[in-house]
Amino acid sequence: MRLSFIRPISCCAVSSSPSTSFKPQTPLFLRPPTFKTTLSDLKKWHLWAKSLASSVSSTFLKLDNGPNSELLLRELNWLIEDTIETPKSFFQETINPVSTRVCLDELYNLWKQRVEKRRPFQYIVGCEHWRDLVLSVEEGVLIPRPETELIVDLVDDVIKENEELKEGLWADLGTGSGALAIGIARVLGSDGRVIATDLSPVATAVASYNVQRYDLEEKVHVKQGSWFEPLRDDEGEFVGLVSNPPYIPSKEIGGLQAEVGRHEPRLALDGGESGMNDLIHLCDGAVSMLKPGGFFAFETNGDEQSKFLVHYIETKKQGNFSKVKMVSDFAGIKRFITGFRGR
Amino acid sequence: MSYLLLKTLGKRSTQLSRILLFSSLSSQSSNNCVSNNSLSIFHSWYNSSNRRNKGSTKNPCGSTWGVRCLSSEAAAVEATTSDGLTVEGIIAKNWNILDESENDWKSHASSIAQSIHLIKKRLKWKRLIDRLEVLSAQLNKADLWDDPVHAGKISREHGSLMNKMEDVMAIEQELVEHIDMIKLSREENDTELESESVKALLRIRRNVKEKELEALLSGEHDYCSCFIEVQAGAGGTESMDWASMVMQMYKLWAQRKGYGVSVVDEMPGEIAGIKRATIKVDGENAFGYAKSEVGVHRLVRISPFDSAKRRHTSFAAVAVTPILGDGSTRVQINESDLRVERFRSGGAGGQSVNTTESAVRITHIPTGITASCQNERSQHSNKASALAVLQSRLDQLEMARQAQMNAQHTQSLTEISWGNQIRTYVLHPYRMVKDLRTNYEVSDPDSVLEGDLDDFILSFLSTSLDKDEE
Repeated sequence: MRLSFIRPISCCAVSSSPSTSFKPQTPLFLRPPTFKTTLSDLKKWHLWAKSLASSVSSTFLKLDNGPNSELLLRELNWLIEDTIETPKSFFQETINPVSTRVCLDELYNLWKQRVEKRRPFQYIVGCEHWRDLVLSVEEGVLIPRPETELIVDLVDDVIKENEELKEGLWADLGTGSGALAIGIARVLGSDGRVIATDLSPVATAVASYNVQRYDLEEKVHVKQGSWFEPLRDDEGEFVGLVSNPPYIPSKEIGGLQAEVGRHEPRLALDGGESGMNDLIHLCDGAVSMLKPGGFFAFETNGDEQSKFLVHYIETKKQGNFSKVKMVSDFAGIKRFITGFRGR
Repeated sequence: MSYLLLKTLGKRSTQLSRILLFSSLSSQSSNNCVSNNSLSIFHSWYNSSNRRNKGSTKNPCGSTWGVRCLSSEAAAVEATTSDGLTVEGIIAKNWNILDESENDWKSHASSIAQSIHLIKKRLKWKRLIDRLEVLSAQLNKADLWDDPVHAGKISREHGSLMNKMEDVMAIEQELVEHIDMIKLSREENDTELESESVKALLRIRRNVKEKELEALLSGEHDYCSCFIEVQAGAGGTESMDWASMVMQMYKLWAQRKGYGVSVVDEMPGEIAGIKRATIKVDGENAFGYAKSEVGVHRLVRISPFDSAKRRHTSFAAVAVTPILGDGSTRVQINESDLRVERFRSGGAGGQSVNTTESAVRITHIPTGITASCQNERSQHSNKASALAVLQSRLDQLEMARQAQMNAQHTQSLTEISWGNQIRTYVLHPYRMVKDLRTNYEVSDPDSVLEGDLDDFILSFLSTSLDKDEE
């Protein structure tokens, strides 16, 4: 069976295409280098930016586990990489004037925001390097985390030995920038498809933009709506479900690192009192959404939540799932729970 | 050999016959076969192109096609002039080598013969011929292609050694042909032809000088890109500063040579410098050159970190590993043998943390070898980079193991592992850089530290290759 998203969708209770009113921003590195700045002005900016970064020392690190100077200096190099047309020649001082993708004032402005306002670096440059992808991100969309990259590896592992999973229909719930949906679409077989859902119209617009950038419109369909709601048409048809739902307990939101707490969308972070409201909703819904033998992988806040959820599935969903287990991230934290729908 | 051909084609057509001969040699070299007379060269070329068309690769060097595989006998057929002068003979005559601008054919010939001699020494000529004989024997075995991987390796090595040998033999041949032409043209008072041939000799003389350098890089993996790793010795900040100076020296050297340079891993010191760092140097022969730098580098200076202004001695160790191409046999790494860890991961991770830091360290559990990368912008890319470093280290370990088993390569063992002290850099009380292996020295440490390393590298390469008499 070949599923295609090109077919018209006849009836759907929830809005099925991303809101057209919102237009995603273009990441810095994709903008045309239309600005000219003299080498000396740019060097002056660079010196200023370096000293601003150095002045931070380990203040943020001690305050809320934020970036130290070393990290900020590396980000500064990446900012140069993304905004200057020929970054190498800037460092070697061989070209004058220098072509840039934003004007000099904006460079001052951006770096000030980064250091003084703690605006996340990924929002500054408008993209996040994630796996082998460069994904567009902006305010209102969760910046995909390095830990989450592993979910694609987990999926890759299970589809290697299973043709049905490789060529079937998958869902990424709460897709945000579309990272998981795109990552998975790229490892699936030629008939494999992914539906990506998100409640936020900003997220669905950004995810659609990223899907388009990677030429995956035929493989990934982005739908707006809450969790399983946009998927009702295909209930029981899914061979795989993945999600990185909000899982931070509400009371911890206030104490988060400034980059996260002040700038990233609460909708993508706050998982209710225990942090597990959405994770439990996902475990409950997976029973009816997944085909027998289907696979799921969810990200959690760590050891405590993972253990609870495995216990929850084993007691409350007895007999519905098999091979349920916890998987650690590279820091050794039990970050994921995975399992299969029983046959 | 082609002298006969030359005679039959008539004297005016030397150039043509030579071109024919060399085009046949070169088109034929890819087929790993050579024969010992010019006619059968054409014959074998014809056969091999036929064979290519048929697409049959079984027994690519077998006698069924009437092509003789090269063995030492072919190499024993020495290039000689019509009156029996060989390349060795030319050297024995001890003709004065004058400046290139002097239009003296004996001087050119003598210089060329010396270069050929040097190149042969650098290629370890006798060993090369022996090896070719062994490889040809293996290629002739009927069951060779039962193991295609092994067969591919044998056939590749055979092809590459054959190319080297043919290159040298072609120059020898050219040399004696031009000497013949000069003699002939003098007999017939053809000054135009004579001056043409003298010019040709000059061209060969220049060309073969370049080949002398190329022959320094004839090791199996010399053509590869490489990783250069620098590690600070004991001694705290002063030696960490020294390690970063050494690393900077290699970055600048690589840039001068037009190589791509990228930092893979860097562990900065607390106050200054680096504890260790790894860079990737991308480009042809990067490993061949950089391998000369393996060992401990010693610095003597008044430390800027010592308020008492005392003289300090610090050490930095340099390791160089080749990045093997796909054609080489590489160590198979089992995913299950790897432990991947994120380092500098603080706190809860996941959604609670936003950091652009995604460094990973990979440990190969069976050997305990580790590699890390932190300079990429995603964890996935950091992991891929670290894995490439790990692969290169495991490949090297395997090469060292094989070298140990193979007595004739024992010498290369020291070349590829962390070696002994190789060079001293003195900034105070006098200024000097001296290589302890070659005794080559210069009195300008600044230019060396700015990457002017080629003289040190070339003198080491030539010393280590040229001293080794066959």
